[in-house]
This record gives sequence, structure tokens and C-alpha cells, in this order.
Amino acid sequence: MSLDAAVEAIRSFEYWPEIATGTLDTLTMTGLSLGFTVLIGLPVGVALFLTGPSQRSERRLTGRAQAAVYSSLSLLVNILRSLPFLILLILMIPTTRWIVGTSLGVAGSIPPLVVGAAPFFARLVENLLREVDRGVFEAFRAMGASTRQTVFWALLPETLPGLVAAITVTAIALIGYSAMSGVIGGGGLGDLAVRYGYQRFNIPVMVVTVAVLIVLVQVVQALGDRWVAHLSHQR
Amino acid sequence: MIETRGVGKTYYTPTAEFQALQNVDLAVSAGEVFGIIGRSGAGKSTLLRTLNLLERPSTGRILIDGADVTDLDGEPLRRLRQRIGIIFQHFNLLKSRTVHENVRLPLRINAELDRSAQDGRVAELLDLVGLTGNARKYPAQLSGGERQRVGIARALANRPQILLCDEATSALDPETTQSILELLLDINRKLKLTIVLITHGMDVIRTVADRVAILDRGRIVESGEVVEVFLNPRHEVTRALLAQSGVESDAVVGIDEDDRPILRLTYHGMTSEQPLLSRLSAQTGLDFTILQASVGHLKSIPYGRFTLRLPASGRGRLPDLLQLADELGVRHEVLR
Repeated sequence: MSLDAAVEAIRSFEYWPEIATGTLDTLTMTGLSLGFTVLIGLPVGVALFLTGPSQRSERRLTGRAQAAVYSSLSLLVNILRSLPFLILLILMIPTTRWIVGTSLGVAGSIPPLVVGAAPFFARLVENLLREVDRGVFEAFRAMGASTRQTVFWALLPETLPGLVAAITVTAIALIGYSAMSGVIGGGGLGDLAVRYGYQRFNIPVMVVTVAVLIVLVQVVQALGDRWVAHLSHQR
Repeated sequence: MIETRGVGKTYYTPTAEFQALQNVDLAVSAGEVFGIIGRSGAGKSTLLRTLNLLERPSTGRILIDGADVTDLDGEPLRRLRQRIGIIFQHFNLLKSRTVHENVRLPLRINAELDRSAQDGRVAELLDLVGLTGNARKYPAQLSGGERQRVGIARALANRPQILLCDEATSALDPETTQSILELLLDINRKLKLTIVLITHGMDVIRTVADRVAILDRGRIVESGEVVEVFLNPRHEVTRALLAQSGVESDAVVGIDEDDRPILRLTYHGMTSEQPLLSRLSAQTGLDFTILQASVGHLKSIPYGRFTLRLPASGRGRLPDLLQLADELGVRHEVLR
């Protein structure tokens, strides 16, 4: 294909408005669900860590209570993570309707996206916190800090670059998931690809959709990397 | 000030149990520097950590200022810990916070001062440890010695009466170790701070400690004034630790097997002011050879220790020599 032909192909492509709307919808879905994912996943990750094997109290009763909370949370997280996202989407339709009033469009895809991504993010957070130097905990315990102070003044600030990297990874996973929610009428670029590309064999729409997704992922990753580099540079 | 009564600590694994501490009795007085020394695995760190209940003893009691704190929990335990400073081998500073913020943390936790008073206190502390001008730096920008100074400033923030040192100089080079030890002595005097430190190095003990306890396999095998323990070690572990630091060398090796008498003289304190050897020689008319000698200071107390060989003909006059030594306040031991 010559350059002229390519320019002509782009000019004659009649679905730019749909692509623009789809991109905007994908960004909205990803952004909102990322926000809720962090809001839910971060406390769950912290809870997993605080009740996890490395933080067990020497006191028998407290230790057992911790173990019980850890096992239940861990089981829940594992169950949600073992469901293929497409299945989760379908299973959640009644719940989604109950929460946002519809299972369709941008709003309808946010609850399943959050439920799919939050357990993943929670595990990432738990693993990050396990990497924090044990000495830092010891110092905080020895200073007489409460658990709350230890979490907010030591754990989260010490893992901030790692948290930003984990948020980036989750954002990219959400872009992928949000495209999948198009299959059951979720809106966004995935919806476009399914309706035009798959059901109407419109190859150009498919190609443009894929290209936009690739660019989105690249941009998100690059932004995340720069933020992490900035945070790590300070210390 | 700090007392442990019959403290024991047992760790359980699914297959075995391990007694890290057994029946440890300690009494640390206010204002002293108390050293605990032992080989690695002897239980030093566990013992130190029972004092602020980072480790809870399996048996026995911990008393701070006469109050039994062994079962404290929750808020009262946090309040107690705020009154006990601790510094660590690896400093345990927050990498994400500046020096100023690291030192301010205990003040934020304690929450008795308002923000500006906290900032003022931090400046005061950085001045005390000689780090003025480094407030805005991050720990990564500091040397090991400077990081430990930050650790010390942080430990002292809430004006504790007790400072625990967990191998505080073990990660530092000898020169830096010396400067940190001097700083510890300085704050011990200035702030009348009681210091308990654990170490595997005798040099640390001889530089700063007033009293010492030797820990071996979870038990205290010997304890007392540093001078006493150094000059008259009774337990083999003490001797081994001393030999490593070059103070004590018991072996009278490479010496001819004959019947010339060999004796050891030790003294410390005021006695050191006198010309002991020349007086002994002049008054008994004996010539002797010095086989081995060590003189110096333990903290601020001068001491001396000599291994002497007398001529074969000198054995007859040995009782006179020993009697004179007694009069001069010199301890003696006939080795051969």
C-alpha cells in the first residue's frame, strides 16, 4: 500500500466517531474501576498482610483470630481470582443490576471489573508489604506505635513506588478486562470490536480498535514507569 | 532500674523446642552502662528484646523501675515502649523519609508535643548527635555511622531513661564504631541515661561498659564489674572471648620447660599510679623477665597485668615477693 493509499484509507474510514466514543468509554470504565479497585484492594491487601503468617501474634488467641481472618480472606481472594473474567461477568449480572441498576454499558461493566481486579490488586499489595524490611516493623513496635500508625507512617510510604507499579499493572489488566466486557454489552472499545469487527466482519474497525488499545497500554505503562522513577529518585 | 527474674524463653517448632534463654537474672542500676556479651546464638538479642517486650518471656518477670511489666499489653505497653529507646545493628530507618522525619516519628507517635515543638526537639536531637545540617537528607545519602546517629537521635526523642543497643556498632568499621561508642558514653553522662547493650565484641565492652554479663547458650555464666571480669575471668567462655580481643592470653606458650618460677600479677585502679615493678624488684633483690604484659584502661579505670619469670634461684624469695605484692594491693598467681 502506498502512502497516498494509506492516507486515503484513513480519510475514508467512517467509524472515527465510534472509535472516539469507544476510547472515551474505555478510559472512563478503566479509570473508575481502577479507583474502586484501589479503594477496596488496598485495605484488603493490608488486612491480608497484617493477619498473614509473618505478623502472627505470640498470644495464642490473637494468633488464632488472625489465622481465621487470613484463611477466609485468602480463600475469597483465591475464588474470585480463579474465575475466568468472562464467567465472572455473567455470574455478576444480577448483582450488577442491583448495584448500578443495569448490567449494560459503561456503568454496568464497572462492578464486575472491580470484583475481578480488586483481589488481584490485593495480592499484589500483600506481596509488596511482605518485602518491607522486618527491621522497620521492629523499630515501630519498639517506638510504641499502633498498628494504624505503622500502616500509614511506615508500610505505605515505604512501599509507595511498588504500589504505583502495582496500580499500573492493574490499570493495564483493567484495560484488557474492559474490552472483554464488550462481549456482554459492556461498551467501550471491546464493544466496538465485537459488534463491528466480529459480528459484521469489519476488519478496519477491528484493526483500529486494536491499535488504540496498544497505544493506551503503552501510554499507561510509560506514565506509571515515570511516576515510579520519580518516587524512587527522591530517596 | 531494669530487672529480670528467672527469665526464660522457649521457641517451639512443630518437631522440637529450643530454649533460647534459661533462668536469666539481671539487675541493671540507673545510670550505668551494662554490657551483655556472648557468641552468636547465645541468646543476647532475645534477652535484650525481652526488656521492651519485643519478645515476651516464656517464664520469669521483667521489672522496669520496680514495676512488673511482663504482662502489659495494648496502650500501656505502647506507653512503656515510648519510654525505652532502642537502636539496631541495621539502623532500621525509613528510607522514604528524611532524617528530620525519621527522628520526628517517635514524637508523632507519642503525640504530646505540637508540630512546632516537635520540630524544635528534632533540631535539638540532631545537634546532640552531631548531625546538624543533615535534616533534609535521606538515609541513603548518609554513611553508616551517620545513619546510626540518626538512629540514636530517634531513640532519644521522647527523653527515655533507658537506651537499649542491639549490636549497634556491629555493622560499622572500627573507626566509626569508636565514634559511636564515644557518643553513647557522652549521652550516658549528659542525660544520665541507663544503657544496656549487647555485642559479640569485647572491645565494645571494655570501651563503654561498667558491668558485664556473659551469656552462653541462654544462660548467664559470669557477670560483674568489667575490670573484675577482665582481669579474673572464671568461665571458659569469658576466657575465649577475652582471648579474641587480645586482653587475655592464658597460654604460657613457647616457654622453656624448666623450674624457673612464673607468676602473674594483676592490678587496677589507684594501684596503677605506683612504680610497682621497680619497687618489687628493688625490695626483693630479684631480677625478673617480663614474658607478657598488658596495661591500659577499661573504660576509665587503669589496669595492668604481667606475667613474670624469676631466676631459678629466686624461688626461695618468692614468699617475700608475694607478701610485698599483697601490701601493694597487687593480685598474684603463681603459674609455675
